[in-house]
This record gives sequence, structure tokens and C-alpha cells, in this order.
Amino acid sequence: MSFNQSSATEKAKQDLARRTSVSESDIETVSVTETEFADMSLGAPVGDEMAAQMMSSGWRINLSAGGKKYEYRADKYHIRLCNFKGTNHIVGS
Amino acid sequence: MNRNNFWIHFGIAVVIITMAAVLGQIRRWETSLRTPVSTGKSSKPTTKPIAVKRSNADGEPEINVRFKPTVNLSDIKKLAAKNNDRIEDEIEAVKGLVSIDDLDNADAETVAKQYAAMTDLVLYAEPNFKIQLDDPTKTISSKDLLQREPIEARPNDPKFAEQWSLNNLGQDGGKERADIDALKAWLKTRGSSEIVVAVLDSGVDYTHPDLVENMWIRPDNVPQYKDDELVVANDLHGFNAAENLSDPMDENGHGTHCSGIIGAEGDNDEGIAGINWNVKIMPLKFMGRGGFGTTKDAIEAINYAIDRKRNGVNDRVINASWGSTMYSKALEDTIRAAGEEGILFVAAAGNATTNNDKRPHYPSNYNLPNVISVAATDKNDQLTSFSNYGVKTVHIAAPGKDILSTWLNDDYREASGTSMAAPQVVGVAALILANEPKLSVEKLRERILKSVDKIDSLNGKVENGGRINAAKALGN
Repeated sequence: MSFNQSSATEKAKQDLARRTSVSESDIETVSVTETEFADMSLGAPVGDEMAAQMMSSGWRINLSAGGKKYEYRADKYHIRLCNFKGTNHIVGS
Repeated sequence: MNRNNFWIHFGIAVVIITMAAVLGQIRRWETSLRTPVSTGKSSKPTTKPIAVKRSNADGEPEINVRFKPTVNLSDIKKLAAKNNDRIEDEIEAVKGLVSIDDLDNADAETVAKQYAAMTDLVLYAEPNFKIQLDDPTKTISSKDLLQREPIEARPNDPKFAEQWSLNNLGQDGGKERADIDALKAWLKTRGSSEIVVAVLDSGVDYTHPDLVENMWIRPDNVPQYKDDELVVANDLHGFNAAENLSDPMDENGHGTHCSGIIGAEGDNDEGIAGINWNVKIMPLKFMGRGGFGTTKDAIEAINYAIDRKRNGVNDRVINASWGSTMYSKALEDTIRAAGEEGILFVAAAGNATTNNDKRPHYPSNYNLPNVISVAATDKNDQLTSFSNYGVKTVHIAAPGKDILSTWLNDDYREASGTSMAAPQVVGVAALILANEPKLSVEKLRERILKSVDKIDSLNGKVENGGRINAAKALGN
């Protein structure tokens, strides 16, 4: 699967709805910005993952649900949730 | 012959025949016991990649354990069985290092601690993290630049004018001579097909028209790769640790880009020129489509490179344009083993704009005699805004911003990162080896680190305060 800004945002909202039990319609898209990430883990490595050290363009997706803010990062290959309960997560690829 | 002699000889003959038959059967039994599986797996040539049989759907081993040299594999297997664990793979290049799969699906940290506690048997144990999709339902949790001398070394590749890192005449706002001085180096050598460079990455598009002639293909006299646990066969184009197949085709583009910098065919009227016009690139794939992979798969791929070296392949350099801040003793040991086989390991310093002296980045930070850590410079000979640095731990700098190289679908693309700087150093290493094939890994590393243009902006940022210069490396 290949993502664009719109499909990545949609996927992020679906993921957050499942994690927080907040209805998808109640999740607010705070901002979606084009960003250049430091590497192909989008600066959000998982576990002992090793990532290609190439600058990688994608989107920083900020969502809000239940009064809390959440940051997703995406490129055309995959989506990550940053620092959710202390760790990063790959949520779609 | 009288009747008594006949019966004596007949009796002796019967005894001899019976003994021979018994001995023959015993030998067959011994053979079948020693090679119960591998004989069947390896004796049949195969043209298709064979997938590894893993113990479960998730596939990845739970932990890496290095046992003391006094503990043999048989004992390790017994110990694992006793713990309801299974030896997933033996990393042959590092004595005593195995990957263990916990069949109880226990937490990797917990299992690692259990093994680490066996201090009379175990040197270290560390978790091998799985990298997988999270399922939240389960866990809530160019000016005319071709006029610079020397004209005789200039390749006819149509995009050569855009390769500022090889020949910078100040195009696109760059600084003249802020390059690796490839034209002057090429007066000495343009590489050699006798030198094999392993690109440990996302694979390589080995059908790219600018790479195809410089791709390594396993020679007929080199046996197929055999791994008792992984059973990979027919490694014709290299190795794919990510999917445990023999096909290392690139689905991301990153490995193909790095490969083009090192060795896109030069003077072939096509695309770009690699630092080596001639070389053999061996793809070692451990990162998937997304450009990331596991430490375990990186270890497995390095183990492959060591095995090939031991089987007569002249792979002298590994390019590692990847990393993280997670330390792994197992990865460090495997890279050390590569060094002991005479393989140089060149690693990207990282793109976090941080000081590696204070916040280590691996594998570039492993303090090993075969490791070179590479920072990235731009077309003005400045350290790039993204590059990591460290006067104690980052050894050298190389061009790494807006670098044009090969990409998927027969294409070319500019990319930036210390990922693009490391292959510049690897390319120069291969040129040196083409000129001096017998150079030891220690001398090779020493030569590279001395072969720089000192740059003010790198003073206090990288160990030798300089950017690689290929001509100097060749004494030209």
C-alpha cells in the first residue's frame, strides 16, 4: 500500500480511534504539515530497528482526542505513532 | 584343497563378508545421523529462492545469546530445549552466538535476563526486538563544468555534469573543488571487477542499466550459501536476510542509490558514473520496502558476507548507510568478526544533528579497527545541517547532500543524508583496493583517514577534520 497525505491522515485517525476508544468523528485533525524527516524511521525508531540514514519527506499529522494530543508521522511507505505511552509504533504500511 | 581346508577357508570368508556388511551398515547409520536434514536440503540444486522455515508466524527470534567458547552447540541446544526454547539460528562467524526463539512467547527482555543470569555459560544475552505493524486491537497500549582537468579521465555518462561530489566546478552555487577529486583519481585507476563491495541495505535493483554490468554474481566455483538453520540456497545475486530469500531485489530505492555512488558503470553513455567505473556490488538486503530492518537481519547478512569471504569471494568492504541509537553487543561482535576476515565496515554517522561523542549512533560508533564513521558535507564543503558529528567518534566526512545516483525503475534521483556520504568513502576504498589488492584492512582504513582535504568547518567536528579525497588516497 502507498500513502498520500489524505490517506495517511485517515489511517491515523482510524488507528487513534481504536487505541483511545474515542469515536473517529470526535477526533480533530489539528495540523498536517509536510516535513523532511532525518531517516526512514521518520525519526521515530521502534525497538532495535535500524533505519536508512536518508532524509525522507512525509507528513507530520497532529491529532487531538479526548483533550489529549497525539503525533503521527507518515511517508508513502508507512505510518508511525510517536511516543504513545512511552514508545513509538508502526501503525500502517 | 582337502575337505578340512575348504571348510576353514569357507568359514573365514563368511566371517569377513559378515563383518564388512555390518561395518557398511554402521557407516550408513552414522552418516544419516550426522546429516539428517542438510543432505536433503543442500544436494538438490534449486533455481528458486527457498523461504526459511520459522517456528511461528511472527518469525523473528526472541533473543541473541553468546555462550562462552567452552559451551558447544550440542549443549546449547540441550539447554534451549530444557527451557522450552529453540535455536533459531547459529551466527557461524561469531563463536557461541545464537538466536534463540522462546516457544512460550515470553517477553524478550525476560528471556534475555534468564540467559544472562547463567554467568558460568553465557557471555551476554540481549533481546531481538520484533519490528511489526502494531495492532491496537491487541495492545492498547551544472556552468560548463566538464572543462576541469584532466580531460582524459572524463567519462561520457550524460549526467556526469550533475555529479558535483565527483567534480565540483561551482555548479548550482557550489564551491569549486569541494569534491572528492575523482577525475584525478581516475588517472590512476577506475576500479576493478576483482573487488567486491557488499551493500548492506534495502537490496539493490540489480537490473538497473547503469548497475547491471557491475553486479556481483556468485561464480560457479563458489558453493551456494548454506545455513544449517536458514537454508538459503542459490545466492546468485546476493542475500536477502529481510525475507530469508536469495533474491535481494530493492523495493525501496535506498540501496540502489548507495550502489550507484559506489559503482554505477562509468563511461557507458548511460546516466551517471560511479566512483568505480568497474567493481562488483554484492547486495545484502536486510531492510524492507520502508527502509528499516532488524538488528538480527543485519547480523545475518554480515554473517553471509563473512561466509562468502571464507569461500573465496573477494568482498573487502561493507557499506552500512543505516543505524540507530540502540547498542547491540551481538552486532558489534559480528562486525568485529568481519574485520578479522579483512572486511572494512563503513557506516553512516547519522542524520540527527547530534554529537555522537555524547549520544552514540550505531553501528558507526562501534570502536573497532575495521569501522569508519562518516559525516556528510554539502557542495560548499560545509558540514550539512542534518549530519551527526563527533571529534572522537566520527572519523571523516564526505559529500552527502543533493547526491545524484541510481534509483528504482531505471531512474536517477538526488538524495541527501549520511547514507549518501558513507558510499563515497566505500567507493574510494574500492579504488584503493583496485590499485593495491593486498592492502590489509588496517592499512586501508589508515590510508582513507589520511586522504582528506582539511576543511575549517570540519575542525572539531570530525576526527581528522577533513573531507575524503580520492586522488590523495591513490597518491595521485
